[in-house]
Amino acid sequence: MGGKFNPAGRVSLLLLPSLAAHSGVVNEWNEQTVTRAFHWARYCEHIYSRFHGNPVIRGVLEKQLQLTNHSLKEAFPEYNAVSILDLGRCQDLLLLWLLNNSALPISIMKMLFETKASADSTSSDYEDVRGLCNQIIQCKSACTVLRPLLGGPSVGAEVQGEMLMERLGSALSQSSDTRRAEDFLSSVLQKFEVAAEHLCPVIAAALLTTDSAVQTASQDFLLDWLQSRLGVLQHVCTALPSKVLADLAERHQKFRDAFCKLLKKWASEMEYRVTEGEWVHAATNSAVSFQKMTEHYLTLFEACPSLRTEIEDELNAQRIADGDFDVRGLSVWGDILLALRK
Amino acid sequence: KQGLVETNQMPFWLEKAIAWGQTDTPHTRNDISLHLKRLRDFLQHIQQFSSTTETLNRLPLLGQLLGRLCWNSHVTAEGESILWKIGKCCMCFCLLALYSEHPSNAVERKANQWIQKVLCHLATDEEDGAALGLMKHLGVPTKEYHLKVLKKVFCFYSFCLKAYLCSCGSIWAVSEACVPLITCPEASPLIGALLQQQMTCIRESLSENFLDALHSAYSRYRKCFYCIFSLCFFFFPEMPQESLKNHLIWVSSSLQRLTEEEEDEEDSDIFEAWFLLVQCGYWVQMVVQLLVTSGPEDCGPLLWLLTFYHHPTNRWHHRASQLVQAKAAWDHLYSLFSIVAHLLPADHLQSFISLLAPKPQQPSLAPSLTLNLLVNFATFGQLPQSISAEITQKVSKLSSLKPLHSASHLSCYHKI
Repeated sequence: MGGKFNPAGRVSLLLLPSLAAHSGVVNEWNEQTVTRAFHWARYCEHIYSRFHGNPVIRGVLEKQLQLTNHSLKEAFPEYNAVSILDLGRCQDLLLLWLLNNSALPISIMKMLFETKASADSTSSDYEDVRGLCNQIIQCKSACTVLRPLLGGPSVGAEVQGEMLMERLGSALSQSSDTRRAEDFLSSVLQKFEVAAEHLCPVIAAALLTTDSAVQTASQDFLLDWLQSRLGVLQHVCTALPSKVLADLAERHQKFRDAFCKLLKKWASEMEYRVTEGEWVHAATNSAVSFQKMTEHYLTLFEACPSLRTEIEDELNAQRIADGDFDVRGLSVWGDILLALRK
Repeated sequence: KQGLVETNQMPFWLEKAIAWGQTDTPHTRNDISLHLKRLRDFLQHIQQFSSTTETLNRLPLLGQLLGRLCWNSHVTAEGESILWKIGKCCMCFCLLALYSEHPSNAVERKANQWIQKVLCHLATDEEDGAALGLMKHLGVPTKEYHLKVLKKVFCFYSFCLKAYLCSCGSIWAVSEACVPLITCPEASPLIGALLQQQMTCIRESLSENFLDALHSAYSRYRKCFYCIFSLCFFFFPEMPQESLKNHLIWVSSSLQRLTEEEEDEEDSDIFEAWFLLVQCGYWVQMVVQLLVTSGPEDCGPLLWLLTFYHHPTNRWHHRASQLVQAKAAWDHLYSLFSIVAHLLPADHLQSFISLLAPKPQQPSLAPSLTLNLLVNFATFGQLPQSISAEITQKVSKLSSLKPLHSASHLSCYHKI
């Protein structure tokens, strides 16, 4: 199970700083104490990054956390339970607890917000807490200030995509059973059902990344998962711009096949509205339009020229099956062909 | 009188804060940009009062103002809120100054509570909620996320700049955006790329604020020779001689410090510094010219810079010997071309010429260095043109250095 080192045994120790950070004890804290607390928090993050992908140790950790949380809550009502995921961002939480603690001395606050003379500072692992908040603010300000000037795909989505793949990769590598990885992806999706819009660029970035650390196996898994969940795939293909979808198709055969299949499905669900003189997607609340669909096809052909003949042949076959008409409004396949050939 | 200005200004700023919070239009955004600097100054001046009670007595609406500024939720299409524009760090300073270490009444205690709440908000709240939510779910610390984003942004920009993909207009925008990042270590590759861009692009492309910020930050950087070059490049045309000399002396001592710190003589930092120096060759000419007009007390650092230019690597620790030779050459030329010695004692000239001869036992100084010094002394020295020409002709005849500029060429350079 991990030889001599048993992180689960130390769980109660890990949670002590979180307990302290909530109580009046911080009144007596000085710079050294705060530094030590943050070292502990970093240690927690280290434990998380080492063991979160190991199902056996993770399970033990979770169980131990549960027990410790329970007993601490009984003893100290103001205690907030710490989950396994919280361990991964322990420093964030510690800072939040400290800043929310009214007993925190002003000297500590001033120290945290101090402006460092950064001549000697590096972004190495070992950092002291002096000027921590100032650094965080600077970092965030920098991101906010420079991002708009990029004018390209979101850098944030790229980073999120890479992190998502990294977590997926470790879920896959630790167990031959794919259930854990599936649960992981499902949990992400579930969490963001409301903010599903946000996830689409992240998924695209995850699949398009050229970061060498991201494994093909992870991307493959994600593609399979997408294909098996038509609703999600549909959502992704509705939300993303044509260019991104075409890039995805060019990069991944599986996506190309799934995307083409989806486009065909959408086309088959179109109805011709005589009053408006155009094809409309029959499904309620559909964001798909005839124009958008043809745009997808055209952009797709630009990225994968070899597809053109194949798809046009297919569309033509369908048009013939529909009655081989040349008049507009009778066969969606014929009308798509017309639009593509313009 | 103290604080009267601030008291008078308060209603104005409160009105502005209210207006800015009500709508988010191009007009509002423009108005904010116009007033930003004055607002920052105002917030800074608030810190002058001796106690929070006094501050709040004089400016009872201060809490309202700060609250409206901090919690203005309008985020523009560009993803910036007022808070970002004002500068969260500016707000932090202001708030910390208002915090009472030993609150003496209910007002101060209440103020402390509120200030702590706002500081927590500034340090921990996120504008991009969905992104941070996902990171939270994945167990990724926010600082790690922001650092990764920042690194990508910097890589992207550095790449664009190096490949000349950025227009001069966007270079200006990037440099302006980098003003708060001057002290951020992750930003140094980007700042370096911006300054190198400056070398090849039109002079006006970097923002003045950016260069000012670099200027004020340079003393905190030990290795920021990029600042050195940007400064001089930017200020060079308008700089009076005396300040130019001081700048160059400062450049020299910074580079000297850099080379002394580097154990590994192949260090790429030193090479990069040298390469930048070479790209601005006219600098070196300024150094040589200044060596003509300087006295023995100034010439040291300038001679070092000149020697470094000709001998960037300190292979086998030859630099010390090369510096000695350079000084000797300068000493000779200084006396040769000084007004008092214009009668040309022959042995003086002879000893200078023997300096120019290659010595197999010693690491020799680049002849072009000595030659350059000679030509400049002849051109810019105080001796009459005819005598300078005579000296150089003699040197040319008696030494192994050929070809030398002819006397007629020299007269073109002479600044009479």
